[in-house]
Amino acid sequence: MEKFKIKFFPDNKEIEVEKDKTILAAAISCGVYINSACGGDGVCGKCRVKVKKGKVVSQQNAVLSLEEKRENIHLACLTTVHGDLEVEVPAQSRLDFEKSSLYSQSEEIEAQKALDDEKLEYSPLVKKIYLELCAPSLEDNISDLERLYQGIAAVAKGIEFSFLQTGLANIKQLGELLRDANWKITVTLGYRNGATEIIMVEPGDTSARNFGFCFDIGTTTISGQLLDLNTKKVLGTKASYNKQAAFGSDVITRIIYAQEEEGLEELHKAVIETMDQMIRELIEENKIDLNDVTAVLCAGNTTMMHLLLGIDPTYIRRQPYVPTLNFVPTLRASEAGININPRGLLFCLPGVSSYVGGDTTAGVISSGLNHEKVLSLLIDIGTNGEIVLGSEEFLISCAASAGPAFEGSGVVCGMRASSGAIQKVQIEKADFKVNYSTILGAKPRGICGSGYIDIIAEMLRLEIMDKDGKIKPQKHARFREGENGREFVIAFKNETDSGTDIIINEADIDNLKRAKAAIYSAVSVLARKMNFDFAQIGKFFIAGGFGTYLNVDSAVRIGLLPNVERSRLHFIGNSSLAGARQAFLSYNAIKEAQEIAHKMAYLDLSGENDYMDEYMAALFFPHTDLSRFANLRDTGHGACDCGCG
Amino acid sequence: MAEQLMLEKWSAEVATVTIGATKKEGDSRAKVIQVGAQASLPLLFAEGAIPHKPVIAFEIWDTAPLDWPAALNQAYKNELKEPLVWAEKCAKEFKADLLCLKLQGAHPDFGDRSADQEAKLVSQLLKKVDLPLVINGCGDDSKDNQVLPAVCEAAKAERCLIGNAVQDNYKTLAAAVLADGHNIIAESPIDINIAKQLNILISDMGLPLERIVINPTIGALGYGLEYAYSIMERARLAALAGDKTLGCPFICFVGQESWRAKEAKTEIESGIAWEIITAAALIQSGADILVMRHPEAISKIKAYIDRLFGGK
Repeated sequence: MEKFKIKFFPDNKEIEVEKDKTILAAAISCGVYINSACGGDGVCGKCRVKVKKGKVVSQQNAVLSLEEKRENIHLACLTTVHGDLEVEVPAQSRLDFEKSSLYSQSEEIEAQKALDDEKLEYSPLVKKIYLELCAPSLEDNISDLERLYQGIAAVAKGIEFSFLQTGLANIKQLGELLRDANWKITVTLGYRNGATEIIMVEPGDTSARNFGFCFDIGTTTISGQLLDLNTKKVLGTKASYNKQAAFGSDVITRIIYAQEEEGLEELHKAVIETMDQMIRELIEENKIDLNDVTAVLCAGNTTMMHLLLGIDPTYIRRQPYVPTLNFVPTLRASEAGININPRGLLFCLPGVSSYVGGDTTAGVISSGLNHEKVLSLLIDIGTNGEIVLGSEEFLISCAASAGPAFEGSGVVCGMRASSGAIQKVQIEKADFKVNYSTILGAKPRGICGSGYIDIIAEMLRLEIMDKDGKIKPQKHARFREGENGREFVIAFKNETDSGTDIIINEADIDNLKRAKAAIYSAVSVLARKMNFDFAQIGKFFIAGGFGTYLNVDSAVRIGLLPNVERSRLHFIGNSSLAGARQAFLSYNAIKEAQEIAHKMAYLDLSGENDYMDEYMAALFFPHTDLSRFANLRDTGHGACDCGCG
Repeated sequence: MAEQLMLEKWSAEVATVTIGATKKEGDSRAKVIQVGAQASLPLLFAEGAIPHKPVIAFEIWDTAPLDWPAALNQAYKNELKEPLVWAEKCAKEFKADLLCLKLQGAHPDFGDRSADQEAKLVSQLLKKVDLPLVINGCGDDSKDNQVLPAVCEAAKAERCLIGNAVQDNYKTLAAAVLADGHNIIAESPIDINIAKQLNILISDMGLPLERIVINPTIGALGYGLEYAYSIMERARLAALAGDKTLGCPFICFVGQESWRAKEAKTEIESGIAWEIITAAALIQSGADILVMRHPEAISKIKAYIDRLFGGK
């Protein structure tokens, strides 16, 4: 078979592939990430690349314009290699991992506050205990292992785990280790499926060094947090786009991709790489030894959990939509390919159904919805949006595919909520001056979900956009025609970090409209199905990867959230990560998570005839049923405290 | 004991739209047409007032139609080439209540007539016949945006019904209609949500809902008639339950759709029957204005409407 060399720019990576392989496949195999929302079906047009040199053969498609074809732009998924190539991957076809993996101090402050407030009793899932055992003698001649058990039992009163277990690997080295260490040792104990396992025995006192990572594994974004399990402190937080996005932007395209040859393996590798990168960065920044990281806890939707564990997710998508598992037993992290201490544990929060996973269970824990006396609603706004309705008496959930727009993906200037993201916006009526604030006050680099919500609300308020999402052109430099319809400039290039304009266009608005319609219609169908109207729901918890800021009033104005008194709407940030953290630090919380997952009912919206009607009716700002959004106050921009007036 | 029917009582009614302005009102029409105002589902007289009968508009073109089937060509012959003569024939010979002028000739592919030419034609037509007028653009967005404002101005204060505004192109027409005192046709692709959204968007521009007529887009018999029927029924149910943004009368382009049917093109009689059946069904689903083509079909439907309304 003939082989050709392909060089990718700007990555400067080179790979040799066989003739007839697609450019997309070549890129994946050498670690160059090209967007591919449709998973290589040639319909989404996200994988445009420019072939600078060399021979290719492209399949016919309706995506590329004549002009693009003339400029040698091709779809990477439909273009096969027929010679040595030089390929340029343009910015809009790339996922920018470097910039997204930024340290967000503000998120951490919030996390720390939440930790201090926690009501749940502190009892981490993994504990280190320093023991000074008595050396054996002729009088005291019980075996080494029994001696160890007795030592643990004497001090570990707080541990509620009923039996102790030890693996053969530990036992084999026990005799020598105890004597070499002069009977002064540190034992790491982990909660494992109802029992307590002696994870490892180390010489000397290492009990001060016990760390863990909790992760929220989202379809679009993965957030990770390094915890000091002794002091309950958050040592650092990272977030990054999920590298699986190269194989499709939603769970369905990922599941389809998993069925391809080596697809499952590639998806598994992508999520592990994303997590690994965060783990490495965080332990380097905090000067921690990887061996002192004793456990990882993950919350994510059911498909993400399957892919994390390398389990085939095929049956999630096929009727009757049954996953391989909802309750993941405690495993060794190394079994899933995660690099921490080789004997370290991997916990996954339990899920409810194929489309409501452990991230939702985590959300319930962190919002405390399961202890509420009043009827409450949790709305987790993500690529796969999850809604939970209930109280201490019952819980019912549903899921709606909203797409990644609110996470800053699939929108031209979108980014996740990290340094430099425009998160609050106010537009002045007189001269369309845009006042904004960015996360950490950095030079603007893009717009995150909360920024988009503010922008749309402001454009509606000033009537520079109609209710269908079409920009009304004005004679002003901020309004212009672009490739994807009209655009409005949020920040001119002289203000921005990259030196290019930050804009919103009509295609972006359309994506955001679909996303908000999917969430809102799921909320209203779930409430109606249970025979409640919004007036009866006492508390609305709003969660999502918006960083620390979301203007709920703007979210109501655009029709994302129901129009109820603002005092009933509570923004709680990333509830999945918060719930994961709580579960990590409290054995009670993980027991509670299991109860919640058992108890929670699931409503399959695909079986609800009125969901599609509701969705279509919600494709409007705020909604085609204007009576639901009557009396929106013109508050100007009351909730903004960014000093923009 | 006499049989008791379960009667539904509705909380709202359809808006009344008035087409044409009489001399008394300062303009030149002999009569005005009113449509809408129903407080009941179609023909359920016992449940609520239905003050106006459905009305039929004769469809005439600004240019001779090239692809009309033989049945239509035979009915009009040479008049097809002379819009003013054609209009007069409909008014005098066929006793039309309403005319619908289709500006097909403005389309870049069918003559590309200029805005001035079309405006002049409308002025002449208004002088020639004293019937209220529906005016329908050629369907090419950018051309309609040139032609229709000129036409609106030429017919200023005649309170015509002018279309079609669509979701991606409504602003120019709505502004012209607002400025010159006309009514607007809001066209949606057999989609109740888009119908509603478009009505909101147009009324946001200042044109009241009482000046909007919904074109729900229909299919002829065998070509989606039932689908159109159920969309109209859903919209009307919402309107009667109090949704003002859907409470506008319907205009249905019956002739245009019926004569596109393959069956209508082959046999003269079956073409007429196709138009009759399509129109009759749409009356049942709540059509207020039926734009039709064949005089024989129109006279049959007129007689049918009179029978349905029993002299009311």
